[in-house]
Amino acid sequence: MVKFIESELVQLRREVDQMWTLVYNQMDQARQAVMTLDRQLAQQIVVRERRVDAFELKIDSDVEDFIALYNPVAVDLRFVLAILKINSDLERIGDYADGIARFVRDIDVQEIDDRLLQDLQVDTMFTLVLNMLEELQEAFNEEDAEKAAAVLGMDDQLDRIKRASGGILIDYAKHNTDAIPLCFEFGGVFRKLERTGDHLTNIAEEIVFYIDAKVLKHNDSQEKSDKKSPEGKK
Amino acid sequence: MESPRYPDRYDLRKRRSQWVAFALFRVFSLFIAFVLFAILGFIIYKGVGVISWDFLTEPPTDGMTSGGIFPAIVGTLLLMLGSAIVAFPVGIMSGIYMNEYASRGWLVRFIRLMTNNLSGVPSIVFGLFGMALFVKYLGFGDSILAGSLTLGLLSLPLVIRTTEEALKDIPSSYREGSLALGATKLQTIWKVILPMGMPRIITGLILSLGRVSGETAPILFTCAAYFFPQLPSSIFDQCMALPYHLYVISTSGTDIEAQQPIAYGTALVLIAIILVVNLLAGGMRRYFENRLKTK
Amino acid sequence: MKKIEVKEVDFYYGKFHALKHISMEVEQNDVVAFIGPSGCGKSTFLRLFNRMNDLIPGSRLTGQVLIDGRDIYAPGVEIDRLRKEVGMVFQRPNPFPKSIFDNVAYGLRVNGIRDKSFIAHRVEEALKGAALWNEVKDKLKASAFALSGGQQQRLCIARAMAVSPSVLLMDEPASALDPISTAKIEELIRELKKEVTIIIVTHNMQQAARVSDRTAFFYMGEMVECGETKMIFTNPSKEATQNYITGRFG
Repeated sequence: MVKFIESELVQLRREVDQMWTLVYNQMDQARQAVMTLDRQLAQQIVVRERRVDAFELKIDSDVEDFIALYNPVAVDLRFVLAILKINSDLERIGDYADGIARFVRDIDVQEIDDRLLQDLQVDTMFTLVLNMLEELQEAFNEEDAEKAAAVLGMDDQLDRIKRASGGILIDYAKHNTDAIPLCFEFGGVFRKLERTGDHLTNIAEEIVFYIDAKVLKHNDSQEKSDKKSPEGKK
Repeated sequence: MESPRYPDRYDLRKRRSQWVAFALFRVFSLFIAFVLFAILGFIIYKGVGVISWDFLTEPPTDGMTSGGIFPAIVGTLLLMLGSAIVAFPVGIMSGIYMNEYASRGWLVRFIRLMTNNLSGVPSIVFGLFGMALFVKYLGFGDSILAGSLTLGLLSLPLVIRTTEEALKDIPSSYREGSLALGATKLQTIWKVILPMGMPRIITGLILSLGRVSGETAPILFTCAAYFFPQLPSSIFDQCMALPYHLYVISTSGTDIEAQQPIAYGTALVLIAIILVVNLLAGGMRRYFENRLKTK
Repeated sequence: MKKIEVKEVDFYYGKFHALKHISMEVEQNDVVAFIGPSGCGKSTFLRLFNRMNDLIPGSRLTGQVLIDGRDIYAPGVEIDRLRKEVGMVFQRPNPFPKSIFDNVAYGLRVNGIRDKSFIAHRVEEALKGAALWNEVKDKLKASAFALSGGQQQRLCIARAMAVSPSVLLMDEPASALDPISTAKIEELIRELKKEVTIIIVTHNMQQAARVSDRTAFFYMGEMVECGETKMIFTNPSKEATQNYITGRFG
């Protein structure tokens, strides 16, 4: 039984890792698509979104099976609950990558002003998001709660860039009236990236939630006194 | 994984030895049954001719060359009863003590060892001991009392053993169940353990009776009369007994030729009594078991 | 006042140190589950509360076990009175070879109650309390052995409850039963906790999780952890506990 449950968990972990890589690639290519206005690449992303969705469903059903068959408790339970939530967060991030790709595919302009892109810090935002994704993937695979917690702060910068973007776009649109539709649509990209940051924050919290108790438990002597107090209270 | 190479035709050999083993077991079992039936058949064949109402109800006459065996039947039944009165209370109580009160410890191991040894003592030694103690020392003389006491001693190990075994097989959870309700040990034994052990105890008792009824040696010096045609009037009287009667008329009779049919008749009656007792044991056992199940 | 207080109890079978320095408290009307691998001492510990271990020669206890503030191991404690106060249900159903009625009445009778109408009243109450009354009310005179395993176990619960204990010890009460009977017993435990404080030993972790308010994990004669059941099954504080409940033992 020990072996079974262990190998099932390893399997789930591997699936989530694959899902993660898939979503990371989607987002990475979305960035390229935006920066180079590559419609073909954007179309590929849109097509591949279906794989992300399918993967999400598979992980969901595997988690369901696992819970039904193995009655996980304690760290196992927290792990699969975390997986369930991380899975849906990743799927949403995939959705955003897809949305950004659609923006690139459907926007009716030949070129985006380089100055505008720089002012908006689109690339920085993508870099941040991708960094967070990567860091969290590592934290998840290495069961490193501290690494996951470190990501929590990075979210603020995304918010800042996004807030600034609104003014910049309005300004730009004022001066380039033919770019109004572009600016209007472009706003969506920032919203999506900002939302991605929220989901990444959630993922970070999930990872901390599932690992945290386990980490505490490694230093028995110290937590003996820590854990006694809630018992005594009753 | 590579599967091992099984030796050729091993299955066949396996099945063949299986068949041979079973055949052997069957033959031996049938052989036992055959021997039993042969003995039984022989006795019936030889003895059934003399069985009649008179044979069962008349005392022997003409120097035991004719007449019946009534006093011997009565004597045997009396001895069975007497030994039961001696052995059952003592034996059952010892059994209970050993299993319920002191099932561990050196004293019980010692008692158990002694009872085991006691059951290995030849019955003639019991007879000798009975004669020395009851007949001579206590002055009971050759009597039903002395005979019953001796036979009682003889069957004691068996009674203790069966009681102990019967109680040992009762799962301890029943004892705990009773004790956990605030019952004392005595209440537990009396109300739960004994009723549960009863079927097997009774079976053991009856089987010990069967054994007693067939014993010759212990009553040889303590009780049995060579010829005592009237019925005993008190427990200090001697009496006749079937096995002893059989022994006497087959070895030192006045006319062994003429007495032979009587001997077979006596044997038949003795076997019949033992058979009845054993059947009774089976019946009692089933009765008590059913009562436990459906009461 | 706590219903049960165990203060620094050590327990020995001869030289074997079966329970090591255990202290715990049990609240009135709580259900406390003892879990742990076989031989960890949880059953031994359970049997301290009605002094069932007294039956084992060479057993020795140090420390105190207080029920309602009274040390049940103090000299002068009458064991049969204690056992009326602390009922017990065993792993295998062990109804006596008597009628259903007599089984439930047994505890009352051995404790000297003769009043027929009172006995009849208590038997009915106890059988109702054990959710068995409707199934047996027409065959009270029938042998207890005629009941199914699950019914027998509920009969044993009724039997224990008939003498109105304030604590009920249950030693793996459902381990010999099928899932439906098990569910009934578990339901019953939730009902009974309104009247009594229950301590249950179980090998079925899910059962402990379902029925108990608090759970204590035992290992090698020590109480490794005792806490709210929710805590134990979501976030135990000891690694040993976690390894045990997640099935990664050893």
